[in-house]
Amino acid sequence: MGSSGSHAEDRPPATPQTPQPLGLAGILPPKTEEKGDGKGATEKVDWLNLPCPVPFEEIQREALMSLKPELFEGLRFDFTKALNQRFALSHSVFMGSMEVPSQTSDVIKVPSAHYEFGANFLDPKLMLVGRVLTDGRLNARVKCDLTDNLTLKINAQLTNEPHFSQGMFNFDYKGKDYRTQFQIGNNAFYGANYIQSVSPHLSLGSEIFWLGHQRKSGIGFAARYNTDKMVATAQVASTGVLALSYVQKVSEKVSLASDFMYNHMTRDVTSSFGYDYILRQCRLRGKLDSNGVVAAFLEERLNMGVNMILSAEIDHAKKDYKFGFGMTVGE
Amino acid sequence: MSSSQDPRGSLPGASRSSDGVLARVSNSAVVYRGRRAASDAATVAKKLLWSTGRAAWIAGTAFLVLVVPLIIEMDREQQMNELEMQQATLLGAPPSAPAK
Repeated sequence: MGSSGSHAEDRPPATPQTPQPLGLAGILPPKTEEKGDGKGATEKVDWLNLPCPVPFEEIQREALMSLKPELFEGLRFDFTKALNQRFALSHSVFMGSMEVPSQTSDVIKVPSAHYEFGANFLDPKLMLVGRVLTDGRLNARVKCDLTDNLTLKINAQLTNEPHFSQGMFNFDYKGKDYRTQFQIGNNAFYGANYIQSVSPHLSLGSEIFWLGHQRKSGIGFAARYNTDKMVATAQVASTGVLALSYVQKVSEKVSLASDFMYNHMTRDVTSSFGYDYILRQCRLRGKLDSNGVVAAFLEERLNMGVNMILSAEIDHAKKDYKFGFGMTVGE
Repeated sequence: MSSSQDPRGSLPGASRSSDGVLARVSNSAVVYRGRRAASDAATVAKKLLWSTGRAAWIAGTAFLVLVVPLIIEMDREQQMNELEMQQATLLGAPPSAPAK
């Protein structure tokens, strides 16, 4: 909390340094409007009408969006065809190499190719998503609004290898200025979390979970401070993980993000810094890691409904270079 | 030529009266020391060159991945904005309209 506050005071001087070449004149009017809103809120706070916080599991979503793009290696082709307003089919092909987890530090890659067939049903009240891969994996997601405030989410991953299938039920309740969630998963997993807005910008949350089969339990706390220019989050869990993230929105199109992760058990510290440019024809995300990993992800819109994806990741320390090319058609 | 009082100084046992001038010069301590210094300098220079080359390689590839796409995309965006501005002025609309 304290750290996020200090971050907030550190950064604002960076705002005037907005790269002017792409800064349009049109950005300026909304900026002043936003400032006006912010000042009005700080002058008079209606403590009984606080905004609803973001869900606990999405507390770092801005930082994750900028810093963790879906990097891949090889070729991917995604095609989505809407049959009618609610129903869509998707086909996707992936060819490339997959990393195999190994005990040693060097990377082992296995060439792999698979086809994925998916069906989506999207309705304001009900969302059904299914995915089948040629290697036998099946992924199913259900999101159903039971009432206006209560949402049921089901996530299932089935594989043909024993003990790797997973299932999870989430019950989300959205209050006026709080959210709470209850989770039940296989292997006797139970979890609950709660997040509450304590001021117009600050929300605090906590979670608790119990893994029945492994006889493990844990508790975690999180804080999130967001204004319309920046988001700072801090998260700590009894598993020994401390995660901090900070996202600064420099302008409509540019945001800079950084995160810091410390694992007390493995004494592992990583931090990364990234940028996220959303232009009219493309979205470009770049990242530099404290392990020396450089990554970039470019989504370029070639035509209506045709997107080209380029992904690059360079790890000089491990001599691991990943480059990917993809096309997304439809959507 | 028994010149044990060689002004350059010579290695003990290396100066023999039967040896030629060239052999005595090449066996002298100064030349030996110089040769060693030269080979040390060469290894250091080689290491330095190699590490700067590697640093330049890493920096260059990082630049290629992080900055080059950004420059290209920003240039494209700017070109598109200019094109739109031109079109707007040709059509007679106020030039501030397309910026919104």
